Amino acid sequence: MAILVDKESRILVQGMTGTAGQFHTRRMLAYGTSIVAGTSPGKGGEVVEDIPVFDTVDFAIEETGADTSVIFLPARFVKEAAIEAIYAGIKLVVVIPEHIPIFDMMEIRKVAREYRSTVIGGNTPGIISPGQANLGIMPELAFKRGKVGTVSRSGSITYYVADTLTRTGYGETTCVGMGGDPVLGSTFDDILWEFEKDDETEAIVMCGEIGGVYEELAKDTIQRMKKPVIFMIGGLYAPPGKRMGHAGAIVEGSMGTAKSKVKVLESAGAHHAKTFLDIPKILKEQGIEPAES
Amino acid sequence: MRLFEYEAKQLFKKFNIPVSEGVLCTTPAEVRNAVTDLGGSGMLKVQVLSGGRGKAGGIKKAESPEDAGQIAEELFDSTIKGYPVERILVDPLLEVRREYYLGVTIDRARYKVVVIGSPTGGVDIEEFAKKNPRKVFRQAFDIDELMYSFQAFDIGLQMKFRKDKLKLLSSIILGLYNTFKKYDCKLAEINPLIETETGDLVAADARISIDDDALFRHPELAEMGIEKRHEEGEMTPREQQARDDSIPYLDLEGNIGMFPGGAGFGIMGNDFVNYYGGEPANFMDSGGGPSPERLAKMLVLLDDNPQVKAIFGARFGGISRCDDFAKGVIMFLKDHGLSKPMVMRMTGNQWEEGVRMFESARKENPDLFKKVEFHGIETPIEEIAKRAVQLAKEAK
Repeated sequence: MAILVDKESRILVQGMTGTAGQFHTRRMLAYGTSIVAGTSPGKGGEVVEDIPVFDTVDFAIEETGADTSVIFLPARFVKEAAIEAIYAGIKLVVVIPEHIPIFDMMEIRKVAREYRSTVIGGNTPGIISPGQANLGIMPELAFKRGKVGTVSRSGSITYYVADTLTRTGYGETTCVGMGGDPVLGSTFDDILWEFEKDDETEAIVMCGEIGGVYEELAKDTIQRMKKPVIFMIGGLYAPPGKRMGHAGAIVEGSMGTAKSKVKVLESAGAHHAKTFLDIPKILKEQGIEPAES
Repeated sequence: MRLFEYEAKQLFKKFNIPVSEGVLCTTPAEVRNAVTDLGGSGMLKVQVLSGGRGKAGGIKKAESPEDAGQIAEELFDSTIKGYPVERILVDPLLEVRREYYLGVTIDRARYKVVVIGSPTGGVDIEEFAKKNPRKVFRQAFDIDELMYSFQAFDIGLQMKFRKDKLKLLSSIILGLYNTFKKYDCKLAEINPLIETETGDLVAADARISIDDDALFRHPELAEMGIEKRHEEGEMTPREQQARDDSIPYLDLEGNIGMFPGGAGFGIMGNDFVNYYGGEPANFMDSGGGPSPERLAKMLVLLDDNPQVKAIFGARFGGISRCDDFAKGVIMFLKDHGLSKPMVMRMTGNQWEEGVRMFESARKENPDLFKKVEFHGIETPIEEIAKRAVQLAKEAK
């Protein structure tokens, strides 16, 4: 098993005919991802890499049974695309582009809740369930099927964690890029709970960073979970008052500093990995052995 | 993106929020004249993109035009929280009976728009709310929800506002909410909202922060002269240079030049260097899919910095490609040359091609690579950070 995407997913690429859409469609297909359709309003009837392109998500679902969507469109078109997909019945929407207006993402989240659909991102590298599906822009090289679930706000951190888990033989069930934008479609607690329910996942690594409130909000979920949660927080040495990196990484009041996040997560029973190499050490301490290789 | 007070007041006026009518000045002489025109006294308020300017000495009362001229000279020569003072807004002195607080913001945790009101204004509302939770009233709205007059009226009632002014107050609350919604704000705040001795309500200050990512749908702001701006205080020359090349960059205190890839590892890489006993000289973010030219420019910034003793490089190619990364590094080595020891690691998207390019460039010109230690996926990134710390120590 994996969470959110697997071999059975029937994937739709919104914005398939654009440069990024075409490039990553090719990459995702090469990985064996089950892409069944694309959309591009006005370009219905075209074909990209032998995959049919439709004018609307409705048509795409009717013809191909798509149930999952990944969006490769400029930020200003994302709200329309995501809500179109959710109205049409898509259950998982992954928003790759960054800089989605905050009001747009709040509206998308609201509609998604009403329709019981899940939105991941924006500014996410996507989701990969190694050996099954690669949805987005992650470099498959770093990932290997295994037993640890990961969720991260930063793309590069996701790759380093996977690299560490792969090299030490643990491998990953699913790696979720939560996204680096200030307001996100899903939060740590949404995704942690999916991992808690997944049979194959034995432990979870969550990676956050300074700024925002999502790490702190995961506290209750972590307390309810039986599986061990290991976390990393970037920015412990970041000078206060300076803006580093992601738009979301701006310190807000008392929540949002790296220290406050470490404190809250440790109090919930999660384990702090200061470097990537701490992750396999903590897994061992928790009695979790590498997967058979 | 923060707006200056005078800009925020312009937006408030569009929604019929009464604001104190000030005069925007750029020289001490203008300030003196403005105070004369106001009848010989006024409130001098520096226009900087930072909160807490009152405490930092950026708001001064002038009792006479001469007084005003002198205060203005001092203010124009000063910096407030790192921001040089370029403009002063001269407001009429108001006879204050009471100060209130009104704000609209986003609750990211609950995905709601929140209206906040308090019968106590002119204070740091976060601090005040912690100590006096019952004196701060909040009302949450869905993002697609309109505010009706009766709801604004109800917020006024909860704030225990005096009954004869409730209608006036609710029109201000409504105006503030609509300003917030109209311009994709992250914050719209009146602090304080002043009730004068004559019973008028006036927004004495105005604070607006707009979502940069939504600016594309507000061309009218650019027409008003409100454009995307740098929000930090004074920049160092290197930060300015980086900014001219659109590279997110900050100078820090240490001696290890950080060339780390994306923002996430940009932050984490700095932590690693600290764990291993080193200190980064900078924070930097290459952005997604940087061009070779941009990467070369980033390295020039580090190599030209005399504070830098060693350079730490990392690239995990996701959407970005390792061959572009290699191209950028080689371009830098050829065109600029490396004067500091550099240790770097590269893996991910197109890494084989990147390695091949490095090897052939090295064969062609081994001298260029003398100070470069190059690693691939076989070496954990922690080892690279440790090595950079060691190189910086040896170079001292």
